[in-house]
Amino acid sequence: MKKYINVQSLIKFTVFSIFLTLSGFTYGQEDAAKGKELFDANCASCHELDKIAIGPALRNVRQKYDDEWLIKWIRNNVALRKSGDEKAIAVYEEYNGAAMNVFENLSEADVLNILAYTDTEKPAAIDPVAASGGGVDPFFNNYTKYLLVVVAVVLLIVFIILLRIFRELKQLRRQAEGATYDDAAQSWWAKNKEKFIIVNPTITILTGFTAFAALLFLPWFFWFGVNKVGVQQGYAPEQPINFSHALHAGELEIDCQYCHSTASYSKSASIPSLNTCMNCHKGVQGLASEDGKPSEEIAKIYAALDYDPEGKPGERFGPNKKPVKWVRIHNLPDLAYFNHSQHVKVAGLQCQECHGPIQNMEKVYQYSSLQMGWCIDCHRTKGVDVENNSYYEKLHASIKEKLHSKDSAQYAQQYFKDGKLVITPAMNGGLECSKCHY
Amino acid sequence: MTNNKQYWKGEEDLVRDPSFIQASKNEFSEGLPLEEVLNESDFELSSNRRDFLKMFGFSVSAVALAACNKAPVRNAIPYLIKPDDVTPGVPNYYSSTCGITGMPIEVKTREGRPIKIDGNPRVKALKGGFSVAGQAAVYDLYDNERLKKPLRAGKESNWAEVDKDISKILNNLSAAGEKIALVSNTINSPSTLSAINDFKTKFESVEHIQYDPISYSGIIEANRMTFGQAVIPSYHFDKADVIVSFNADFLDTWLLGETFSVDYVSRRTPGDDMSKHIQFESALSLTGSNADVRYPMQTKNEGMLLVSLYNELAQLNGVNQLPVVGQADVAGQGVKKTAAILNKAKGKSLVVCGSNNPKNQGIVNAINSLLGNYTSTININNPIKRYAGSDAQIQSFAKDLAAGAYAGVIFYGSNPVFDTPYGDSIAKGLKNKIKLSVSSCSNLDETGKLCQFVAPDNHFLESWNDYQPLGNLFTLGQPTISPVFDTRQMQVSLLTWAGNIGEYNTNTLADRGIYGEKQSSAPYYNYIKSKWAVDDKTFNTYLHDGYVQKEDIPATAPSFIANAVDMAASIEAESKQNKEGIELTFIEKTGIAAGKMANNPLVQELPDPISKVTWHNYIAMAKANAEKLGIKDNTVVNVTIGKDKFAIPAIIQPGQANGTASIHLGYGRKVAGKVGKGRGVNGFASINGGEFTNYTVQGAKIEATGEEYKLARTQTHHHIEGRDIIRETTLDAYKKDKKAGNRYEKPQVVSLWYEHDYQKDGAPNHLWGMAIDMNKCTGCSACIVSCSVENNVPVVGEVEVRRRREMHWLRIDRYYTFNNVNNVDYKDAVSEVNLVATSADFEGDKITKEKALKAIDHVESQSTDPTYAHYENVSVVHQPMLCQHCGSAPCETVCPVLATTHSTEGLNQMTYNRCIGTKYCGNNCPYKVRRFNWFRYNDNAQFDFHFSNDLGKMVINPDVTVRTRGVMEKCSFCVQRIQSAKLSAKREGRKLEDGDVKTACQRACPADAIVFGDLHDKNSEVRQLFQNERAYSVLEELNVKPSIRYMTKVRNV
Repeated sequence: MKKYINVQSLIKFTVFSIFLTLSGFTYGQEDAAKGKELFDANCASCHELDKIAIGPALRNVRQKYDDEWLIKWIRNNVALRKSGDEKAIAVYEEYNGAAMNVFENLSEADVLNILAYTDTEKPAAIDPVAASGGGVDPFFNNYTKYLLVVVAVVLLIVFIILLRIFRELKQLRRQAEGATYDDAAQSWWAKNKEKFIIVNPTITILTGFTAFAALLFLPWFFWFGVNKVGVQQGYAPEQPINFSHALHAGELEIDCQYCHSTASYSKSASIPSLNTCMNCHKGVQGLASEDGKPSEEIAKIYAALDYDPEGKPGERFGPNKKPVKWVRIHNLPDLAYFNHSQHVKVAGLQCQECHGPIQNMEKVYQYSSLQMGWCIDCHRTKGVDVENNSYYEKLHASIKEKLHSKDSAQYAQQYFKDGKLVITPAMNGGLECSKCHY
Repeated sequence: MTNNKQYWKGEEDLVRDPSFIQASKNEFSEGLPLEEVLNESDFELSSNRRDFLKMFGFSVSAVALAACNKAPVRNAIPYLIKPDDVTPGVPNYYSSTCGITGMPIEVKTREGRPIKIDGNPRVKALKGGFSVAGQAAVYDLYDNERLKKPLRAGKESNWAEVDKDISKILNNLSAAGEKIALVSNTINSPSTLSAINDFKTKFESVEHIQYDPISYSGIIEANRMTFGQAVIPSYHFDKADVIVSFNADFLDTWLLGETFSVDYVSRRTPGDDMSKHIQFESALSLTGSNADVRYPMQTKNEGMLLVSLYNELAQLNGVNQLPVVGQADVAGQGVKKTAAILNKAKGKSLVVCGSNNPKNQGIVNAINSLLGNYTSTININNPIKRYAGSDAQIQSFAKDLAAGAYAGVIFYGSNPVFDTPYGDSIAKGLKNKIKLSVSSCSNLDETGKLCQFVAPDNHFLESWNDYQPLGNLFTLGQPTISPVFDTRQMQVSLLTWAGNIGEYNTNTLADRGIYGEKQSSAPYYNYIKSKWAVDDKTFNTYLHDGYVQKEDIPATAPSFIANAVDMAASIEAESKQNKEGIELTFIEKTGIAAGKMANNPLVQELPDPISKVTWHNYIAMAKANAEKLGIKDNTVVNVTIGKDKFAIPAIIQPGQANGTASIHLGYGRKVAGKVGKGRGVNGFASINGGEFTNYTVQGAKIEATGEEYKLARTQTHHHIEGRDIIRETTLDAYKKDKKAGNRYEKPQVVSLWYEHDYQKDGAPNHLWGMAIDMNKCTGCSACIVSCSVENNVPVVGEVEVRRRREMHWLRIDRYYTFNNVNNVDYKDAVSEVNLVATSADFEGDKITKEKALKAIDHVESQSTDPTYAHYENVSVVHQPMLCQHCGSAPCETVCPVLATTHSTEGLNQMTYNRCIGTKYCGNNCPYKVRRFNWFRYNDNAQFDFHFSNDLGKMVINPDVTVRTRGVMEKCSFCVQRIQSAKLSAKREGRKLEDGDVKTACQRACPADAIVFGDLHDKNSEVRQLFQNERAYSVLEELNVKPSIRYMTKVRNV
């Protein structure tokens, strides 16, 4: 039975798939996803869905024009205008004679796909915090919650024991003072304790258990706590502008060093100045809204620069500029010197090796612990390119010499890892204090 | 022992004062003041268990709470619109000119903040020499006591109001034809002079008066009298085989000291080319301490000595002698010998004189003419333009002002109430019936305080300017930061008041929002450019280079037109006016610029190169005089000069000529910031004014008061226990044997350590080393200041220096040695007797007890000699001392926490964050170069020396950690510069070249005495120097393998 059903469903699925595939080439069967791809590749440089860019906003453009006209216009608007089409000339003039490219390479089906994309509903605004999923503070995550519960329980037990000892001692003192152990002097607890617990064996067991737990747990807890003091791994503060690396570095694949341009030649990778943002955001104004205003976050850039898009060229930045106070995420202590260019330019590391999957972060968080052990680990394993950098000429020569000496086997073991020459910074003094601390 | 001289740092060291010996056994003179704390009345030792539990509980919970605290939110604020040429994390360098010393400079800025100033070596005519004052001047920029706004009647006002009022009064006064004075120090800026001319054109009754606190008008007048040219000629110490100086401190404070020391040192390498330097002087100056032969003299005899020198030379050359009779009284053997030496170097010698007496200078000119020096070592055609002040002008101005002859006065960058002998009468004039008084002081000073208006000038790092230091050399000054406060360039103020600024007021920078509300320097940029009248590209090239060198002006011999006979007669007449008492000379001090830099903490804390006193001035006395008057070091004495009387602490200064005393000028500021105010005594008030200010006063009465003022003096803070640290020889011996003075029997070496791979020659790593040439080091101390600025070394203040807690990573040890005492027995005797009780056992080369005692007797008999002639006659050695980065460092083995370790590049690394402050390393360091950080100097109101406020912190070098209290620190060989140079090489994929790394001290050294580099680099200069015959390691016998070698000092005696 099972087999039959499977075969049947397989056949059904295949037939359906073929139908779907074929239908892609026929009128009325449009694919919005494909349309988005085409839109991004061909149209996005001048058009947005919800906002007037160089050309008109295109969402629900079909409500304004019929498909046939649209296909003609998109594939060859010049020809359409030359043919004297009134609507075409009107559009052309409305946008100050900004000529639209000719897209004869797009098939009619392609155009329909694009139009399908323009029919999609406007998505609700994305909450960057909710979407991020990052920004976990290790000290207050679930794991720690359990820890806290355990601590609370232990403390409660200790408290009860202390209370017991206190009572017993009080009793003893009274006895020493000659008081008789009469009922009247006994407390409520003394009278009623049998109702709650079996007195002596339990206390003994509890005390023993607690002491054992404390012995095991407290040093570990201390070590854990001390090691985390000042470590901000996972730190993901709110930023004044909700800049999304997931969008810029991930989706749009903008090179990290386009914005963090000084990483290759300076100590600091530097947070880009807002004029860098404006290289794109003069034109790109975010998800177009109905009123044609730039998105909320981009508006913050404009506000900071006192930017007036309508102003004369060269005078668009006003006098009331306000600096943006970003919150520093990676805080190395003053006693440690770190230089980006050393790692980016000389070592050729990818940003992600320290900063994590930055291209997926809606909201940036500190990926690495930035503890000294973390630095050292890398300095012990990563290779330095001694072969292609003339600075290391002498070092390279001496290694070659060693590898050709009579002790070559021993040196080979030291210098080769997985058949590759790996000269770590550690071998070249990279673990010495004053390489980073001065 | 390699030579027989006894070297000593101070008298207590020389006579082995028991308390000093005891104190020197402790590395840290004062331990923790536990007893003091415990004895305080509010501290109850009887605190009981409950108190203990309370305190314990509190501290535990406080620590716990502190640890729970989340890290504070730190902001990062990028530029809104990033200037193209500023990259965060990368320094920029700009050429400019120092407004204090007038030398061309290179300013290092980080993120738009100037953080370091060095000389500009591209300016060949001035050799890139640079000194203490200029190095330290960057601190003044961030002084939060600077005037933040213009003042009107002592209250903060704004520019609009001040400008309105001043212009109005000026117009009224000018219309009424009433006299207005513009009083400045010498202005050698062509554009500023032109601005002043514009001002004078508008207000015709303005008279420009120029004076200099330390005047050179005697030289100018002498040249006018003898050659008909009222200029200061330029001197070329590099062309002189023989240099004879009478009281001229030409390596430090005299004229272009920075340039002269570069020239001088270029001829001090031992060999046939080495120059000979003879110094006649009363106070032991930095220059005198470097002289090959030094003759102590009383300044009142200077004229007669010059005349007799002339006569000796005249005799040798068959020229008529000057007819004087008193010559024989003063002319000792020194003059005769000097004349003979000079005569052999005719045309290649140079005689200079520090006197401000035109007659003395006239005789000097006659001597130089006779020697034919005007075509080689002196160039009168290319004069020094930096000093042109006239003593007569300021004298008559002071008189007239007090008499009410001036209706208005404007003080431009000058403070005559403090730094002239006429302070009182000028103050009186300002308090009386004056209609307008304006000062341009940027920190309120004595003069500014008495003025109705203060129009604060910018710091030179905020200003545009041009300068003409020499006839054929112009330098440019450009701002490296926008004005920190609401101040304005004085030139702009003058032009504004004259109503001329309008056309230059196209402030393009303000449009870009860079200056905001503040006054900008842009108008003056436009003004200078219009005066230079060159196209933008040329002007920018000038700015980039920082200077414009016009074609050479060849030296020609001027004809001597004066009557030397008359001059000699008048000198003789003056020399006969004998007065009872001590001759007191007021001299300049390194770096303090006659009081202009008195508010600079770096300058104040810098030990005087000779006396090693910080933070205060003092009267330096000769041993013979002091002994007679019952004066010891730190005794406060009353000095009476005519009606003038003041109290000042005294020191006994070896080398001070008998019968003389000296006091530094520039102290005793009454109106200054917290650093400079009320420190020491103002000597200007006691100077005799006149047509030519005489800085020497005859007939001073000095008496001990019985009080004591403990001067903060570093000279014996680090005791050498009589060890063999200095090596020196004479040029003659050196010529015979290149290793003379450095022949040293190597001790048998047994090492606990294996030699590390990285120490072996040919290893692929760098091995850093430094060579210091004691023949080149003049002791000028520019390196100390440079090191402090580069490495964020804190200033600790007078009280802490007294406790031996100065933080300088680099110090210059100054050793005295007697010239005419047989030192042989003395030295061995003293050290042996002190160190070894049973010294009678010693035989052969070693000393016997009998011999030792005899030697001590000998010394004692010397010390009862009432003339103390040997105290007058000392030689000096300067030895820069810094961490030696020992290959087998004793400090490293004793650190319990591995805070100080060795790197494979030969560096002795100090890791502050590991250090727990046991101070074992300091105790175990044979060189005493480790400094313990006792307090959080950068954040402590008690140490408010520009460093503990937000503005002052701007000068901090961001590449170097600011240390906190409780850690050891020391020279790192500028590891931040090493790392940065290596990184540049790696980025560019090239080898590190020799000279890529220059330490801060090396960069600052005008004499190139310090050479740093890679000892594993076959071609490096430092490697060559390590193999030089003169090279030696200090305390080589300890086998700690220092990475620094010194070059034996060779004297051309």
